[in-house]
Amino acid sequence: MNLKRIKAVAGKEWLEIVRDKVFFSLAFVVPVVMMILLGYGLSLDVENIPFTIVDHDKTPLSRDYAYRFIGSRYFSFLGYSKDDRSVDDLLASNTARAAIIIPPDFEKNLISGRPASVQTLIDGTFPFRAQTTKGYVIAINSAASMDFMADYISKKKGISKERAEKLLRPVSLETRYLYNQSLKSVWSIAPKLIMLILMVSPPFLTALGVVREKETGSIYNIYVSTVSRAEFLIGKLFPYMAISAVNSLILFLFATELFGAPFKGSLLLFFASTIIYVICTTGIGLLASVFVQTQTSAMIVTSIITLVPAVLYSGILIPVSSLEKSAQIVAHLLPAMYYTNIVIACFMKGVGIEHFWKDILILSLYAFSLLFLGYLFFRKRTKA
Amino acid sequence: MTTADSISVFRIWIRRLHVMTVKEFLQLFRDLVLLVFIIYAFTADIYLAGSGVSLQVKEAPVYFMDNDKSQASREFLGRFLPPYFRVKGEVISPIEGTALLDKGDAMIVVDIPSSFQKSIFSGEPARIQVQIDTTNSGLGFLASSYAQQIAGKYGLEMAMERIGLVDSGHINAPMIIDDHRVWFNPNQDDRWFMSLSELLTIVTLFSVLLPGAAMVREKERGTVEQLLVSPLSSFQIMFPKVLSMTTVILIGSAISILFIIKGVFHVPLKGSLVLFFSITTLYVFTTAGLGLFISTIAKNLAQVGMMTVLIFVPMLFLSGAWTPPEAMPAWMRTVMYISPLHYYIDTGFGILLKGAGVRILWREILGMAALGSVIFGLGMWRFRKQFG
Repeated sequence: MNLKRIKAVAGKEWLEIVRDKVFFSLAFVVPVVMMILLGYGLSLDVENIPFTIVDHDKTPLSRDYAYRFIGSRYFSFLGYSKDDRSVDDLLASNTARAAIIIPPDFEKNLISGRPASVQTLIDGTFPFRAQTTKGYVIAINSAASMDFMADYISKKKGISKERAEKLLRPVSLETRYLYNQSLKSVWSIAPKLIMLILMVSPPFLTALGVVREKETGSIYNIYVSTVSRAEFLIGKLFPYMAISAVNSLILFLFATELFGAPFKGSLLLFFASTIIYVICTTGIGLLASVFVQTQTSAMIVTSIITLVPAVLYSGILIPVSSLEKSAQIVAHLLPAMYYTNIVIACFMKGVGIEHFWKDILILSLYAFSLLFLGYLFFRKRTKA
Repeated sequence: MTTADSISVFRIWIRRLHVMTVKEFLQLFRDLVLLVFIIYAFTADIYLAGSGVSLQVKEAPVYFMDNDKSQASREFLGRFLPPYFRVKGEVISPIEGTALLDKGDAMIVVDIPSSFQKSIFSGEPARIQVQIDTTNSGLGFLASSYAQQIAGKYGLEMAMERIGLVDSGHINAPMIIDDHRVWFNPNQDDRWFMSLSELLTIVTLFSVLLPGAAMVREKERGTVEQLLVSPLSSFQIMFPKVLSMTTVILIGSAISILFIIKGVFHVPLKGSLVLFFSITTLYVFTTAGLGLFISTIAKNLAQVGMMTVLIFVPMLFLSGAWTPPEAMPAWMRTVMYISPLHYYIDTGFGILLKGAGVRILWREILGMAALGSVIFGLGMWRFRKQFG
């Protein structure tokens, strides 16, 4: 191993990157743009659910009831629909995601102390949204029930409404949200976006860089040079890792400053783990690039092996513990999950290294094996 | 020009198109790794995404701290049942509960006060404390909403019985009976959503990347010079690339719809498949136009790669394939109207799951067609300007 030669390869690679001004700026612009767009847009908050109401009763009480939905910030009212058929169309055309159908005799039943059944139709194409919408509907309905019943009981028994409400609600649940007190989606998403973006961008840069030499044939210069395999790979990968390391710092600042995500852990540990993770993802790019011959397939292969798993199996949207068995196995085989654990530990939980040293260890092993495999499979000399 | 002449001109035109299309196919099929990955993407990848990933609270681990140890507290805790919850065990101190939450072993810790049963019977509200891990805000919200439902229902049942509003199972109170129905996916089977969503993603990825890359490769290797001195028009150069890739993508989606989505996941394909594939074709053309447009800006494949990520990733995440689009800020929802994927998701889910037809989806189809012609036109114009 000769440091001078490594430096030469790295220098050559660096020049090649910097001289392609468009590529060089994209290497920094892409992560930042992703961070901003996804930070604002990638949200599991279910709000502004477009919905419609069919009021078969048309009484003051039914309008009062409808207003409980219309006034809620979770729903966005599209206007009353005249019949059930137009509701079908609104749901099928994705205009409305929910519809509330108030039955005839709604007021009559409630005033005379009988229950009234209200039908809610929910668009189930996106199960998570449907579940959450259902939660809102149940909450609004039970609050309405509580009101109606408290009124009824206070009149019937001659007690105050407050007393009646107390009687009706013998159990109250005090919920404490841990790690993300305000249930702000962006606080939990923004730090994990660092994981996602560093999973996508370094392998792309690396794979394109390595395969470019193969495809344009400039790799023949390397074949005939005195540079060894290891020297070439280290020199080649170093500039890409450096760019990604800078990017991770920028992304960290975006997460904490722009999106205000709280950081509770140790900065040093976080950045050390981040560097290991970047080496890992760069290694994925390297491994992808040794198996493909063209930049087109390099792009396809890296995007499929990084992007999709980084979303599905990393815990960014879905915690690994709630995945099915098969998917849990996949998740444990990929590095993204371990880094997500570290991100959560450092950002939201602020727990010490004793909680995530295993994750760091596994990531390091990963980084080492990926680079080693890349080294094994990388042929300086193509087979004749 | 006589008719015979124009027929022969047309024949030559078609022949050139044909020759170029064959060339594109050959080039594609000779890249073995790429081919393998195309097959993987349309089959195994969609299977994996559909089979294991679900965005629901499923058997969330519950730990409890029962300071009352009464019949009432046991009955209350007994309501934390699958499918949403699974009671894992008891903790003795709050510290132990916090430790389990920190480690991620518990999602919920329920703390029942010592006077629970007494206060319920005396009519004084009993306060139960619940700690919920909300590192994932969406699931945290769902879990808390389920816990609230359990507490609300339990309390109401106790109260109604005591006040005497229930008479042998018959409710004598002015309450709202919540009768909700979930349409189009009654059991909220995530596999339906995930597998379709993944298919739309894969289609998008290939249609942005393949034609654009095929174009830039010609630029990078200099073969575009050969094409330019040939008697081919710019349309004849660009169109075959889109045509060949579209064919591959359509065959891929047909395979995954028939064998994976319908075959393995039993998604009921309600609408017309002909309509779905026509719209997929329209979509692939539109998105391919985007790829070609990128290729006229980019000088080499590395730039194409980065620009594709720049366009593809936001398009993918913000169109509603992964998260509900209604949750986005208003300005972002407006921006999404220029994303073809936004229309494709609406029409794709509309046709396949909802059984919607042209009568209902014409707006989306029109929007996509308009977008497609603009993007494709821009790509052609840039290409002509560059090489014309």
